[in-house]
Amino acid sequence: MIKLTGITKSFGRNQVLQGIDLQVEKGEVVVILGPSGSGKTTLLRCINYLERPNAGRIAIGDFEVDCERAGKKDIHALRGKSAMVFQHYNLFKHKTVLENVMEGLVIVQRMPKETARRRSVEVLEKVGLGEKLDAYPSQLSGGQQQRVGIARALALGPEVILFDEPTSALDPELVGEVLAVIRRIAKEGITMIVVTHEMGFARDVANHVVFMDGGAIVEEGAPKDIFNKPQEERTKQFLKRIMPEPAYSI
Amino acid sequence: MGEKFDISYVFTFFPKLAGTLQTTLLIVGGALLTGLIVGFLVALPRLYKVPVLQRISQLYASFFRGTPILIQLFLFYYGLPEILKLAHIDVSRAPVLAFVVLTYGLHTGAYVSETIRSAVASVDRGQVEAAYSVGMSGYQAFTRIVMPQALAIAVPVLSNVILALLKDTSLAFSLGVMEMTGKSQSLATLTNHFVESYISLALIYLVISIILERLLLFLERRLLRHESRPAEAYPVFRRERFGRLRQFFTRERRVRFREETR
Ligand SMILES: Nc1ncnc2c1ncn2[C@@H]1O[C@H](COP(=O)(O)OP(=O)(O)OP(=O)(O)O)[C@@H](O)[C@H]1O
Ligand SMILES: [Mg+2]
Repeated sequence: MIKLTGITKSFGRNQVLQGIDLQVEKGEVVVILGPSGSGKTTLLRCINYLERPNAGRIAIGDFEVDCERAGKKDIHALRGKSAMVFQHYNLFKHKTVLENVMEGLVIVQRMPKETARRRSVEVLEKVGLGEKLDAYPSQLSGGQQQRVGIARALALGPEVILFDEPTSALDPELVGEVLAVIRRIAKEGITMIVVTHEMGFARDVANHVVFMDGGAIVEEGAPKDIFNKPQEERTKQFLKRIMPEPAYSI
Repeated sequence: MGEKFDISYVFTFFPKLAGTLQTTLLIVGGALLTGLIVGFLVALPRLYKVPVLQRISQLYASFFRGTPILIQLFLFYYGLPEILKLAHIDVSRAPVLAFVVLTYGLHTGAYVSETIRSAVASVDRGQVEAAYSVGMSGYQAFTRIVMPQALAIAVPVLSNVILALLKDTSLAFSLGVMEMTGKSQSLATLTNHFVESYISLALIYLVISIILERLLLFLERRLLRHESRPAEAYPVFRRERFGRLRQFFTRERRVRFREETR
């Protein structure tokens, strides 16, 4: 469904991705874990082509590009297959909640305004913002803004939604509402790749967990395997640091 | 020197000066139009970091912001024809007003380019990435996301530039252009009522400035309506004064939309 092959990326001399291979099945929720600077954000940005990989292949659905040869058209087509939810929401500040969601549908997908509006309202109701259609981002809480961010991605009907630490900029009491929304859309069978430090979420929602370090995938597998019996020393160290308590008590 | 002060002259001068208002406004309008176009074009190489052009546009901005407008007027009026003569172009018949509009236009353009540059830079990069991620092209992201916000940030600064331009046009009379200040000068010499003439002149500038200020403020509020809770953010008197217009723009639309979704 989504297949990354040999993705490499350097910033100057600093090689940040060392050849990533990753496969994600349709409807799967993949959580990416890893210490700071391990290249998680860079990997997501490469899939959305916000960073240009130096080499490798990206396939989403029936579309595949060779990163060394990708032209403008390929990049545009690839971006049409995925959508991104950002750590800092990145909403369009001069547009209302409804306009934020409609923008991509009308401008990029050339949907008739009425259809786009109906679809946007529907998605916004799903994330619990049916009452806030005419509000501007500056009038919303962080949690509400992030839910708009999710609605904006969801409305586009992408094959995969990429989440980059969607709750790490939020006040603790707002994390729950955003995670609840992500859980709900995960249940609907939407393919997702989520970078997060929310271990509870990773355990409950993920079908597959990937642990990255130093720009490479160190270990991957089902959540219960990764959390309960990690094989690699680096994974053990990381999990011990991030969750001092054992993941499952027997 | 001068005749005894007589307030009635202030009123008789008023319409006479107002008759030359169109020349002043022509300079302001022409210079503003030139300035916006030039300023935008000059800002581009700096926004996109085009190697050599970037330096040139910096030099341009430094020159027009760093030298007195009066000197610039003299340089263009007396200097430009000489330079063009070397290229065998004769501009000795061109109207003075053309030089004046050109000079003020380039002067304004320098400020406009600086304003645009900093306004665009202040729209955060994340929004552009979000625009790309929903599939917009670079052009779409610029015109639909960056430009409207940059404009909202730029308008208050541009307002100052416009008001400064209005006042600066009073220097055009030093090249013999009969705009308002020039006219007031000649009325004063003719009648020997200097003070009355200048009072009248000051009043007209003031009225025009206030009108312009109000218009620009209104534009600014419209463009910045997304900045945190519009209704509460403004002092009450403004809210009431612009209430009806705002109602037209916002509430009406909302009502219409509710009906459509039903
Ligand atoms: N635009 C850039 N220019 C240069 N170096 C970069 C750039 N973006 C990221 N890097 C470097 O790439 C490495 C990986 O960064 P990345 O943001 O992908 O890590 P991360 O796993 O998302 O970390 P975190 O958990 O802190 O978000 C870091 O060493 C970072 O300094
Ligand atoms: Mg990151």
